[in-house]
Amino acid sequence: MNAAAQEIPAKEILAVSNLTRIFGGLTAVRDVTMTVQAGEVVGLIGPNGAGKTTLFNMLGGSLPPSSGSIRFDGTDCTGAPSHVMGQRGVSRTFQITSLFPSLTALDNVRSAAYRTTRAGWGASILRNAAYRREEAELRRKAMDILVFCDLDHRADTLADAMSYGEQRRLEIAIALAAEPRLLLLDEPAAGMNPEEGQRLVEMIRRIRARGVTVLLVEHHMRVVASVCDRLVVLDHGVKIAEGAPAQVLNDPEVIRVYLGREPVDA
Amino acid sequence: MNTNSHGHSLAIAGGVAALAVLPFLAGNAYLEHLLVLWMLYALLALSLNIVIGYLGELTFGHAAFVGVGAYTSAILSTQLGLPPLLGLPMAGLVAAAFGLVIGYAALRVVGPQFAILTLGFGAILFTITNHWVDLTRGPMGITDIPPMAIGPLAFDSARPTYYLVLALVLATAWLCHALVSSRTGRAFLAVRENAPLAASLGINVFHTKLLGFVAATAIAGIGGAIYAHYIRVITPDIMGVHNVAALIIVVIIGGRGTILGPILGALVYIGLLESLRVAGPLRMVIFAALLTGTVVFLPGGLVSLWQRWRNSHKAENNLPATPTGLPSTEGGAK
Repeated sequence: MNAAAQEIPAKEILAVSNLTRIFGGLTAVRDVTMTVQAGEVVGLIGPNGAGKTTLFNMLGGSLPPSSGSIRFDGTDCTGAPSHVMGQRGVSRTFQITSLFPSLTALDNVRSAAYRTTRAGWGASILRNAAYRREEAELRRKAMDILVFCDLDHRADTLADAMSYGEQRRLEIAIALAAEPRLLLLDEPAAGMNPEEGQRLVEMIRRIRARGVTVLLVEHHMRVVASVCDRLVVLDHGVKIAEGAPAQVLNDPEVIRVYLGREPVDA
Repeated sequence: MNTNSHGHSLAIAGGVAALAVLPFLAGNAYLEHLLVLWMLYALLALSLNIVIGYLGELTFGHAAFVGVGAYTSAILSTQLGLPPLLGLPMAGLVAAAFGLVIGYAALRVVGPQFAILTLGFGAILFTITNHWVDLTRGPMGITDIPPMAIGPLAFDSARPTYYLVLALVLATAWLCHALVSSRTGRAFLAVRENAPLAASLGINVFHTKLLGFVAATAIAGIGGAIYAHYIRVITPDIMGVHNVAALIIVVIIGGRGTILGPILGALVYIGLLESLRVAGPLRMVIFAALLTGTVVFLPGGLVSLWQRWRNSHKAENNLPATPTGLPSTEGGAK
């Protein structure tokens, strides 16, 4: 597989090999091979149109690859639909704010905990002990996640009525409620001011501390450089560099295609 | 869904008690008949609300499933001599089977395309019923349908039938409440609000919608059977477009995505239908205007008036506003 990944002893949670996606005559992602180790925070960067979101959509199952394979936790997931990836433990956020607009923050999180709950309609009709126990547990867990995302004071507010920054945090709360093993964050810092960006960095670190592996697409270099263990750079659908942030961000090729002529203060 | 449960259960108990004594206050057979119609429409609207309110999909085929249930029980009791009590679950099963097949095909598409497909399937069922004279007697309809009976207790007049349908309405209301306070129902709402996000959280969108659709058609079938054994005569008109429109109007005016809404909407519909009899065919124009007005000015339906009042009341007293209950389907597009 990947030359860069062979030395690392940690468990490989995601292995992408020779992944390609063609839209008509356009090859959005070409022959990309990369791996993510369990517990890592990996950044996926590249200029607009580099194929980052296309790659994300394939990983999340909402877009089948044209060729190549995706293995998640040792299981082949190539072409598996979105809800199957979700059930296996891959959660994602979307580039454009994506939540359940006319539900409260608490219900957003509770709805998102689908994968982690069992008691369904039947149990709810009977109001049996299993149902009551699970609902109490779910409410507690959902509140914990809201506290984690600093949204507990907004638990009864409709998602629609929240500020932009709150909505972006609620998105992460939703993704976390599914108790994912791999979290795909698509431009979580988009539209955030530096202070909110810093808050996001803290949040990603704490998410990692909970044992969740994170793969994120991001344009804010400060966020990327301060939170990622490793970076993968795409350009025109092709992987052009991979490695530690400091090294990648000073790679002349990366600077040329992505960051302009100036070196970055990372 | 809110948790100030003490006041809630008190209000519900009061409401049920009021419903239980209503026939005694009605005083005459005509008003009792209207009460039965109210409960029947409430039952059917509650079932339609599962699709429109919780799943956020518009279906124009609901009356067809009411008809399937009505014809199933009517044919079983008149031609095979099956007791109507057994016809009731059979009506639900057959309607659910139709719902499964039609839903399996139609739920592959969403939004307007789904609505048009259900309109088409509804029209097909209507046409078959109208022309398969050997089975359904076509436009002549089925007459002399025996009344529903549980042992010696015959539901051959309005008052006992009212209590039978009231019991079914309350049971269905509980089913709906249990649904939205469960993992399954939260998946329904997630699918309505944002299907791609729901899928990314492990929810199988297609299966979730199919479950809701089949449950709704099963209840519609049972409602249809009750209607057949109460009115004792059915014709293919029961599947007609006017019935589709009536049920949609009831759900939207009352408040989609709520339990009280469809029950309230059915009351308004039956009440206006009768009190506007003098207006003749103009009634339908008035209903169209009402529907349009509700959609524009009160998208949450009649029940949202109460929430509005409560929120403004709280604002006056500097209390935090509570969210407006189970919301409308407006957000589904995001």
